Amino acid sequence: MMDDFEKQLKDAFQRQDPSADFESRVLAAASREKQKPRRWLALWMPGHLRWAAALAMSLVLVAVVVRQREVHERAAGEAAKARLELALKITSTKLKKIQDQVNAGRQDE
Amino acid sequence: MKNSILIACFAMLPLAAQELKLPPNIEKLAAKAEEVVDVTMDGALLQLAARFLSDKDPDEARVKKLVAGLKGIYVKSFEFENKGEYQDSDLEPLRAQLHSPGWSRIVGVRSKKSGDNAEVYLKSENGGFSGLAIISAEPRELTIVQIIGPLQPEDLRDLGGRWGIPKIDLGRKPGKED
Amino acid sequence: MERGPGSKAFAELVREHQSMVFSIACHFLRDRSLAEEIAQDVFLQLYRNLESLESEAHIACWLRRVTSNRCVDYVRKRQRRPETGLDDGPEPRSVEAAGDPLLNRKLRALVQSLPEKPRLVMILRYQEDLMPDEIARTLDMPVRTVKSILHRSLAMLREKMERSMGDPR
Repeated sequence: MMDDFEKQLKDAFQRQDPSADFESRVLAAASREKQKPRRWLALWMPGHLRWAAALAMSLVLVAVVVRQREVHERAAGEAAKARLELALKITSTKLKKIQDQVNAGRQDE
Repeated sequence: MKNSILIACFAMLPLAAQELKLPPNIEKLAAKAEEVVDVTMDGALLQLAARFLSDKDPDEARVKKLVAGLKGIYVKSFEFENKGEYQDSDLEPLRAQLHSPGWSRIVGVRSKKSGDNAEVYLKSENGGFSGLAIISAEPRELTIVQIIGPLQPEDLRDLGGRWGIPKIDLGRKPGKED
Repeated sequence: MERGPGSKAFAELVREHQSMVFSIACHFLRDRSLAEEIAQDVFLQLYRNLESLESEAHIACWLRRVTSNRCVDYVRKRQRRPETGLDDGPEPRSVEAAGDPLLNRKLRALVQSLPEKPRLVMILRYQEDLMPDEIARTLDMPVRTVKSILHRSLAMLREKMERSMGDPR
């Protein structure tokens, strides 16, 4: 049986959700894991295909850079959202406390 | 005593145009505080945050609506290990700014027993509200909140119970004091 | 798509357990993006070891254990090669259904100041609601040690909170 302090600890340690795209990133990484053994085959490609492979690789790298930028922007946006949530919660908690004090004062009258 | 200082790391953005300047004595409290919460969000940062609020989630949609026209939200909270780390007189320069035209103190609560002292100010402009300020002074904690921009008290009230925010009632007109 | 025990797809397992894994890491490290990195590594390790896991319950326990170990390993590596401080960056976003957000931050900060194993014990107890014997199995510690850690950590936290809240009125 938990006491009040332990219940406060439970409140403070509620589970949080990761970013909305976490699952898709994990699945993408798992998918890349699965394809790893096939990469060595590229070394055996005929010469003319290697250029195509190099071009494809460059495009992939560009996509990775763009994706990185998106990831950073998302991280910044999520962080801003977290700060906003904190600010509004602190504001409302303080207002609620003040309201309770005002109401308590009225009851004493 | 371990000082743990948390600073909002948005240094790449221009310095926020806070309506109320915190007096130097208050800024210096960071060095004495055991923990500091510093949230500085100007219009640009608020819009960035709003972009990541979902229109489909009713709670987040309400917050998005509240934040839409705001120019800034600034929260500074200091928590001290001991009482007496700041004086009420340290807050006078801040209160002086809140006596300027447009600002009205709508609530003032003081408890001799607990030593808590709290004030709420609203700024009115063109028939509506354009700012909210809260000074919450407790023996071991000092919190100052500024919200700048078009604001309706019912917007804050409507947030109550959602997104983890406590329910509040702020339906007071400027100029009336408890 | 790979299937785990009971024919559950890997994707389903990620969906079901991501919040648990992420939260253990996030509460331990107090760094959201780092927690996501560690959580992703944990799930990749799960992906590689799916065949060897016997049941749903085994998976959950396995995930908690691996996440805990990864977190401790990360902290120990950083202590050998310090880079940026754990306190850098904003406080991770927390969804708090009730309670004073400042109080909750204070509690999390106090737990974060505990050494690694006591910190994990507290997180597994209060985030995951595990009993001491389950925590002991997860962290590979004697039950007696877990109970002792809980007792001492709670006492320390209570004392620090009482001091910071002030004397009773």
